[in-house]
This record gives sequence, C-alpha cells and structure tokens, in this order.
Amino acid sequence: GPDPIGSSGFHRTVLKNGSPYCYMKVCLVLQDQETRLNAVELKSLIITGLKDLHGEVGAALPFDVLKFDEGSLTAVLRVCSGGLVKLWSSLTLQGYYQSQACAFRVLQVSRFNL
Amino acid sequence: MCSDLDRTPRTLLVCDRSSFLDEKNRVSPQVEKLHFNHKVSVLLPGCSVTPSNLDLVMNTFSSFYLIKKLPVHELLDPGLQGAINQGVVYGLSFGTRIDEDTCVALMPKGRLVLSLDKDSYELLGVEGKPSRFNHRTCSRFVVSVDLTDSSMAPGGRGHTRLLTGLRSHLQLQTDFLLSHHPEGGASLQPLLSRYDWSKHEPEVSCRHLTDLTCPDFRSCDCHSLLEWIGAVEADISCESSSSSFLSSFTCPEPNDVLSHALSVSICGLLLPHDVQRLIQELRCHLQQTQLESWASLTVHGFIDSPVSWGDNEHGVLSGGENFYNLLMFPDHTYHLHLATGAYDTCPP
Repeated sequence: GPDPIGSSGFHRTVLKNGSPYCYMKVCLVLQDQETRLNAVELKSLIITGLKDLHGEVGAALPFDVLKFDEGSLTAVLRVCSGGLVKLWSSLTLQGYYQSQACAFRVLQVSRFNL
Repeated sequence: MCSDLDRTPRTLLVCDRSSFLDEKNRVSPQVEKLHFNHKVSVLLPGCSVTPSNLDLVMNTFSSFYLIKKLPVHELLDPGLQGAINQGVVYGLSFGTRIDEDTCVALMPKGRLVLSLDKDSYELLGVEGKPSRFNHRTCSRFVVSVDLTDSSMAPGGRGHTRLLTGLRSHLQLQTDFLLSHHPEGGASLQPLLSRYDWSKHEPEVSCRHLTDLTCPDFRSCDCHSLLEWIGAVEADISCESSSSSFLSSFTCPEPNDVLSHALSVSICGLLLPHDVQRLIQELRCHLQQTQLESWASLTVHGFIDSPVSWGDNEHGVLSGGENFYNLLMFPDHTYHLHLATGAYDTCPP
C-alpha cells in the first residue's frame, strides 16, 4: 500500500502502460455548420458508429463523454485502454449524422487526462 | 486480429515519493531538465484569491519572442555565441509538427537539435542518427550539435559545414520561439533587428472553484489522482453518478468537499528557472497554511518538441506526452509523477 506521508527516504516506482483508460479529444464536423446537438445525441451517434463497425459487442463498449462543448462540437471521451482501437476506428468511419455528412476529427489522444 | 484491436499507445509513468528535506530528492534537477515548457497549472485548495507572493511569481515569468521565418543558420551567428556559451538562451521551432516537419530546438547548454525527414537530412549533409521513432522505414533523422564545442567556433570545420548546410543546401527557415535568462537579452537584439519579431508575456488565467470534490491523496492510486487533477484543470465535472448515461467518471473514493479552490494556468514558452521559483513560493505558502493542505503543480512540455528531458529524443507517437505533476505537502514531502511516451527515454 502507499507509504504514510511524512516517512523519510526516496521511493521510485516506474509504471509501463499502467493507465487503465485512454482519453480522446474529438471534434464533430457537420455538413450543415448550423446544426447543433447535445451530449446525449453525440453519445448516441458514437454508439451507432460502434455498432455499425463492430456489431453488438462493439456497441456495448463502455465509454464516457467527460466533456462536451455544444458551441464548437468538441468532446473529451474516455474509454478503457483495450477499447481505444475500436472506438477510434468507428469514429474515423462515421460518415453520417441523421441525413447529413459528418466527420470526426481526432484532435488528441493520450493515456493521461492531463 | 482480436489482439490487434486491443493494442494501445504505450506510456511510461514514473512515481517518486520523497521529501524536499531528503538529500536524495532530485526535484530541482528534474525540473531543470525539461527545458521547453508550454503550460504550468497550479491547483490550490482553500483559496479564493491568489496569495500575493504567488501572484507576483506567476506574473513575472520570463517573456519570450516569436520570430517569423527565421533562417536557422542565424543561430550560428557569432553575435549569439556569447549568450549561447553562457547557457542563457532557449529556442524552439513554432508551428512545426515533430512527425511531419523539420523541428529545431536550441537548448540552454548550447546544443542545437534538428529533427528532419530523410530528404532534408540528406540535403543538409551533416552527420546525424536515425530517429528512435521510425516506424518501418528509416524516414526521420536527428542531428545534434554542441555549439560550444571547439569545432563549432566560427570558422571551425564543423561550423562551416553546418552553416553551409543550413544556409545554402537546405535553406531551412522556420517560425521560432526564443527566450532567455535576464542576462542574455542584449545579445539577442542584433538577431531580432534583422527579422519580423513580436514579444509575448506568458498568459496567466485564474479560476475560482467552489464545492470541489477532492480525493484522499494518501489512498488514491497515481492514475486516478492524475485523472482527477486533469479533470479539474479541464473543467470536467466529477459530479455525475456512476450510472449516468453520459459518463461514469466520478471522483475517487474516499473524498471530501473543498469549499474553495484556485486553479491557475500559465501558457507560453516557460523556463525551468521560473518553475523553480514558483515551487519555492508554493512551499512557502504551504508553511503558512493548515496541516492538511497541499498544492498541485503540473508542467507540460511541448508535444512537438524534438527533445523531452535533457537532450533525449522526444516523439509524438499518438500522444506526445511529456509532463510532470508535483503534489506538495506542508511537511515538505512530495509526490512527483513524470509521464512520457513509450519510446521516449525514462525521465530522470
């Protein structure tokens, strides 16, 4: 367990690939730039994309919309590390929102939220 | 096929726990080695306004210059040699992507690092090494030159070769961020007078937070801790319940609610010695506050810098992380987390 604060000495731990999650900053670009959607609609859209590409198992992949800015349609997503490739691939191939063309731009991907 | 889908970008996280009073602690050299910092964030519990000593330090970070279309051979100019030999000049190419463009870093010990694609490297004609971040083919190279070496004195063989390469063969030109310790300012003036430049002050922004749910740092694992700090800095809510549709992210348990906290961020080309000053002031602040207090400092390196800690090569892979978080306590103990990508060298 962790050492109590105040104990003397120097302790170093090196963790490789220890982070359980991956974080993605993405931006949704829509054909009609006036269209707006809320966080729930965004999450539903991503789930649809996961189902289209990876089937029912893909659609069950848990991910979190940590933050969503409705003005710029930019979101921060969190997914378990093993699910990154599935999520990223379905975002890449997501071509339509309702009846208009759309694209997800992946702005940043990291194993750390910072 | 299934195992390929599970692959994730690899990272390295170093967790140090020690005390500033312990002779083995290395916080100061570790801070000094991350030469190029673009953002410093501070999280202070129990504050609704920035304490005056901290406010002074945060608003007196060194200013820096942005030079447009600087021909890189100008960094070999004899007029700059004095400042470079003194170790007071820091520089980084601006708007260049480490995996696609040529990136340049001028480190305070006088080392010039160029990260080049294969064609540019061959045109330059100076010996370098293949990048550690090459994927299948050898498509990127790193040239690292010690400008304080005797062969790099003006007129020396190495100097002439590099100058010819940068000026005539490759004709390398890039937007460039330049900063200096206070004593180096005068020797930059001749260089600045020849090009289009602007001076910038680091941008400081403050947020006052109320009713912030905060984990117990003694029992929190390091990944959850860093995730929580990142959430606070990115203004991500920890309030959703774990059964919410949108997000199951919650503050790690056990936790407590802080009635007030202050989140400050400083952005620009930030120098290690200003970060050192800030750490000293944060430690002073903690001595004057309650026993259960703490202060969090996060320092981010540039994603597109060709070097991370020291003169070790840095690449982006998919994240480009090179940052550290220093969590300090009133009894002089600290937790230091240093993170970097898988192919980067382990932080010091």
